[in-house]
Amino acid sequence: MEISVDRANEVLIAKVEGRIDGANAREFEDALNGAIGEDDSKVLLDFSTLSYISSAGLRVILLIARLLQKRNAAFALCSLSDPIREVFEISGFDKIISIHDSQAEAVDKIGR
Amino acid sequence: MTQTPYKILVVDDEPDLEHLMRQRMRRDVRSGLYTLYFAQNGVEALERLNEVPDIDMVLSDINMPRMDGLTLLAQIPNIAPDIRAVVVSAYGDMKNIRTAMNRGAFDFITKPIDFQDLRVTIERTLKNMEEWREALESRDKLVRLQNELNVASKMQQSILPTEFPDSEHCEIYANMEPAREVGGDFFDVFGLPGGKIALAIADVSDKGVPAALFMMSSRTLLKGSAIGAIEPGAVLKEVNDLLTEENEAAMFVTTFYAVYNPQTGQVDYSNGGHNPPLVVHPDGSSTLLPGTDGLALGVFPGVNFGQSAVMLSPGDLLLLYTDGVTEAMDADGEEFGMDRLQAVFADAPPASTEAANKAVFKAVHEFAGETPQSDDITCVTVLQRQA
Repeated sequence: MEISVDRANEVLIAKVEGRIDGANAREFEDALNGAIGEDDSKVLLDFSTLSYISSAGLRVILLIARLLQKRNAAFALCSLSDPIREVFEISGFDKIISIHDSQAEAVDKIGR
Repeated sequence: MTQTPYKILVVDDEPDLEHLMRQRMRRDVRSGLYTLYFAQNGVEALERLNEVPDIDMVLSDINMPRMDGLTLLAQIPNIAPDIRAVVVSAYGDMKNIRTAMNRGAFDFITKPIDFQDLRVTIERTLKNMEEWREALESRDKLVRLQNELNVASKMQQSILPTEFPDSEHCEIYANMEPAREVGGDFFDVFGLPGGKIALAIADVSDKGVPAALFMMSSRTLLKGSAIGAIEPGAVLKEVNDLLTEENEAAMFVTTFYAVYNPQTGQVDYSNGGHNPPLVVHPDGSSTLLPGTDGLALGVFPGVNFGQSAVMLSPGDLLLLYTDGVTEAMDADGEEFGMDRLQAVFADAPPASTEAANKAVFKAVHEFAGETPQSDDITCVTVLQRQA
C-alpha cells in the first residue's frame, strides 16, 4: 500500500495504491493521519489505483471521516473501481460518505 | 488433572428456585463440576461473595427486595473483579437487559428459565472466564499478547451455537472457519415465539481482543433486541443505537438479521450492510436477496433500517455468508466472488444444509490454494423442506 499526496484548489488529495486489509490497516491509518495537516479543511481520497479494501480498511475511512467531521472539514472519495464501489454500497458507507466518479468532479465539488 | 468445582452463586427471591436448581443440576453438582450457593437478594449475595472466596459466576434475578440485581451488578467488581455475571430477566425486558450489559453482565437468560439454555449459558460463561484468567495470569508481554489472541479466538468460538433446529419443515446448519489472525465473524440461531426462528450473521470490522469484545456485545444486544421486537428492521435499529452510543474506536459490524417462519417459509429480514444472502432453488439456480437500504451497525446513530420479505418454496436453500467467502483470494489476488459462489450450486444443489456449507468451504479452499486465509469464513444455511 502506497499513499501519494497532492493538493489542488485547497483540496488535499491522497492517492492510495495497492490493497488495504487487516494486515496494513493501522499503517494506512497512520499514513493518512500523517498526510492530513492541521489546516486541511478539504480531503479527498483517490481510489483509482486501490485494488482491494477490507472491512478493517473501511473502519479507517470511518475514523478519518469522523475526525474531519469534528472539525467541519469536507471529506470525499473518488474514482472507485466497481468491486470497491460495491464494498461501499453493500456496507451502506456510500450513504454517509460522498463518492465521486472522478478526481476532477470531486475537486470541483468540494474545492473552491 | 483434578478440577475443583466451579462455584456458582444463584441470587433469586423465589424460594422454589433453590430447590429446582439443586434438582436440575444435581448430576453436575454430584460429579464435582459445580458447587451452588444461594442468596435471596443483593445484600445476601454480597455477604456470600465476602464469605466464599473464588466464586466464579453469579446468576442473578433483577427484581428482588432489599437490593435488586442491577445494583448488585454495580457492586460486584468491588469485591471480585474477575467474576462473570449472568442476569435472569423477564422475557423481552430490553431496558433492564441493556442496563445489566452496561454494568458488565456477561450474558442473560429469560424467564421462565429453560434449563437446557441455562446449562449452555453457564458452560459458555465459565469457559469465557477461564480464558480471561489464563491471559491475565501471564506476566510476560509477548506471551500475553499471544494469549490474548487465543482468548479472542476462543471467545469467538464460545458464543457460537452448535445445535440447530431440525424439523419436518426445515433444517438449519451453521459453521465458521476462523482465520489464523482472529477475525470477527459470528452467527446466531435461536427460537422466537410462535415457532419462528431468528437467524443472524455478522462480521465485525476489526480483529483481535477489542473486536472480540465488540462482537460479544453485538451478539448479546442483538439477541436481547430480537426477543423484545418482532420486526427485523426495528431490531437492527435498536442494536445500532446501542452500539453507536459509545463507540470511539469506530468499530462496526455488518449484520444480516432475519425472522424465519418454518411453517410458511416466510423470511422477514433486514440487512445492515452485510453481503446479500443467496436463495438457491432446487434446479441449482440462485438469486440474491435485494438489500433493505441498510448501513453497517455502529456507524451512525438514529438511522432507520428497512426490511423486506422473501418466501422460501419447498426445496429452497437460504445461504447467509460473510465476505470471507466472496473475498477469499487466490495466489494472483483474484477474489472468489459471487459468480463462483453461485456456481457451487449450479449443477448440484446440495441435499442437506451441512452438505451445502461443506461444498462452499471446499470450493473456497480449492480456489485459494496455498494462499493463507485472511478472514473468517462463515455460512448459515436454511433448507425449506418439501411439504
